[in-house]
Amino acid sequence: MVDTILSQGRKTETKKRHPKIEDYSHTFRLLLKNRVAMVGMIITLIYFAIAFLDVVYPQYLGVSNINTLLSFREPTAVTPLAPSLSNGWYNLLGNTEFFSSQFPLLPICLASLKFDLGYSIFIVAIGATVGTILGSIAGFKGGYSDEVLMRVTDVFYSIPFLILALAFIFLLGRYIEYAVYALIIIWWPIYARLARGQALYIKSMKFVEAATASGASTMRNVFSHVLPNVLSPVFVQISLDLGSIMQLFAVLFFLGVISDPYFPELGNIINQGQSWLAVGVWWPIVIPGIFILLFTISVNLLGDGLRDVLDPKLRR
Amino acid sequence: MELKYYIIRRLLLLIPTLLGLVLLVFLLMRMFPDTYLIARYINPKSGIPYSVQAEQARAALGLNYPIFIQYFFYLKSLFTGNWGYMSTPIYSGPVLQGIELYFPSTLQLSILATILSVAIAIPLGTYIGARPNSLADQLGRIFSLGFYAMPIFWLALLLQILLGENVIPGNPLGLFPIAGKFSLASIPAVPPPWFNPSTGLTGPTHLPLLDAIIHGDWQLAISSLRYLFLPVVTLTLALLAGILRFIRAGMVDASNQEYVKTARSKGVPEHLVIKRHIRKNALIPTVTILGLLFASLLGGVVVIEEVFNYFGIGVLALNAVYNLAIYGVLGTTFIFGVTLMAANLIVDIAYAFIDPRIRY
Repeated sequence: MVDTILSQGRKTETKKRHPKIEDYSHTFRLLLKNRVAMVGMIITLIYFAIAFLDVVYPQYLGVSNINTLLSFREPTAVTPLAPSLSNGWYNLLGNTEFFSSQFPLLPICLASLKFDLGYSIFIVAIGATVGTILGSIAGFKGGYSDEVLMRVTDVFYSIPFLILALAFIFLLGRYIEYAVYALIIIWWPIYARLARGQALYIKSMKFVEAATASGASTMRNVFSHVLPNVLSPVFVQISLDLGSIMQLFAVLFFLGVISDPYFPELGNIINQGQSWLAVGVWWPIVIPGIFILLFTISVNLLGDGLRDVLDPKLRR
Repeated sequence: MELKYYIIRRLLLLIPTLLGLVLLVFLLMRMFPDTYLIARYINPKSGIPYSVQAEQARAALGLNYPIFIQYFFYLKSLFTGNWGYMSTPIYSGPVLQGIELYFPSTLQLSILATILSVAIAIPLGTYIGARPNSLADQLGRIFSLGFYAMPIFWLALLLQILLGENVIPGNPLGLFPIAGKFSLASIPAVPPPWFNPSTGLTGPTHLPLLDAIIHGDWQLAISSLRYLFLPVVTLTLALLAGILRFIRAGMVDASNQEYVKTARSKGVPEHLVIKRHIRKNALIPTVTILGLLFASLLGGVVVIEEVFNYFGIGVLALNAVYNLAIYGVLGTTFIFGVTLMAANLIVDIAYAFIDPRIRY
């Protein structure tokens, strides 16, 4: 006991950590203090944990394959089952019906998270990488390349997102893979603008001037000075975008733009779940929506918290 | 004087953006093969033989020229109103005519929602922002975060379940119709000359409410108001949540400024401090994001039109996508882009009016 305390004390005394790591751990401690952001982070992490569990152990959902809703089908006795505690965990949130078979709501909603989160991460990761690098270079270089990039993003910004997504999905094909490509095409300009604005500001700083004076090339400046400083607003935007993309996917499935009736996706479940509405069955519509709502709220809380923590003006 | 030059410059800046928008739409079109473009350009119902029409289409699109020249042909056909043809189950005919028929109701929904949400958000945001961390503020934050994060189609479905007529049997709150623009029962057996039974639309503005008022048909006016209620409320709630977040943040930001302290210490009454010193400055950042919010509103309108079966160009765009009507997709994409550009223009001019520091 005494030993461990002593050794801990010694460790903090002697070990001098890299200033960058010190900075990150300070940021993390600030984030821990922000209670609302913590709630958002915990819920987000739970969502990711469920999605991860679905990938690794699909049998915990009672099926061997969660890539299609067909494996959840229970063709017997098509009767509405209200959410209740007495039906076992499988039917905890009630059931839903489409194509005259019944589907338990809780497992199909959980199974959907894998795809919703996986595709959101994929789109945001590619969009953010491409957009941030392009925006940083254009903002740093200025002149002609900057002008071209800004005009291109202007055009993307002049069409509402959903319409742009519709047009690109129409071009590529109405399948889920193509919808993912379409969303990547329309998603990078956000990050390009964000990074460009930040790069313009960083360009005027003294340390960049010093680096340039000592012979750093544009690329070296961008990668070692601009990008690290652009990252914090990019992370905030990423956390907000995870929710937006999940919603956009849900809308595209709900409208039937991506038509795959057995694809496990929350908007698809809502779309298919409207058949019992005439007899007063509301839960196939309400419950998947709550899954979307909860995730969007928590990533928003997390994003707002991150913004407060990472903003040097509000920090400390 | 300066403001006039600013507006002129801003108008001139529209030209490159518009050309860029046309370029994007054109590139989308050119991703498809020539035969596809020709086959869908022609009107299958006209008596002219296919080969003749195909030649005309080829000439109109300039398909015999290099792609750079084709852009100008496309530009020309857009500005001469030759937007191609679309045939879908709900609308078949020239694209431009479809947009003419159904664009007013899209515009009506978005403008009503914008006016209502701004009218509610400014007083509510002032009230909330003047009392940070009070109970009203906490409730306002929960409200705005909740509705901001809510998928709009889900909100629409919830409102249908709660307030929709005949959705849930025996629901005492189910007062509002959930599909269509007006009740057909409110049209007499011999329809008035300004009602077109084949399209189900009224003349001359194609907006049932406005047309009914113009022609003095109060029964139809009341009917169309009831049908307008749920779509507009859904859009308003979604937009209101977005605006409220920014007004609240702006109010809190502005009340920490030195000039507010100065105003208070020289004895300006509190309501005037809030009205003249805090709110005036809080509205400036709000106006800048109004353009972005309007973009998401237009996306929401598409969804709302589909959910409430309120036929506008959003439904037209969706049906064009479902039925491979390429000119319908291109035309609606273009018109949505133009609408958003117009909205951004208005926002920028309003911004210049509000904030005298802004002159580029």
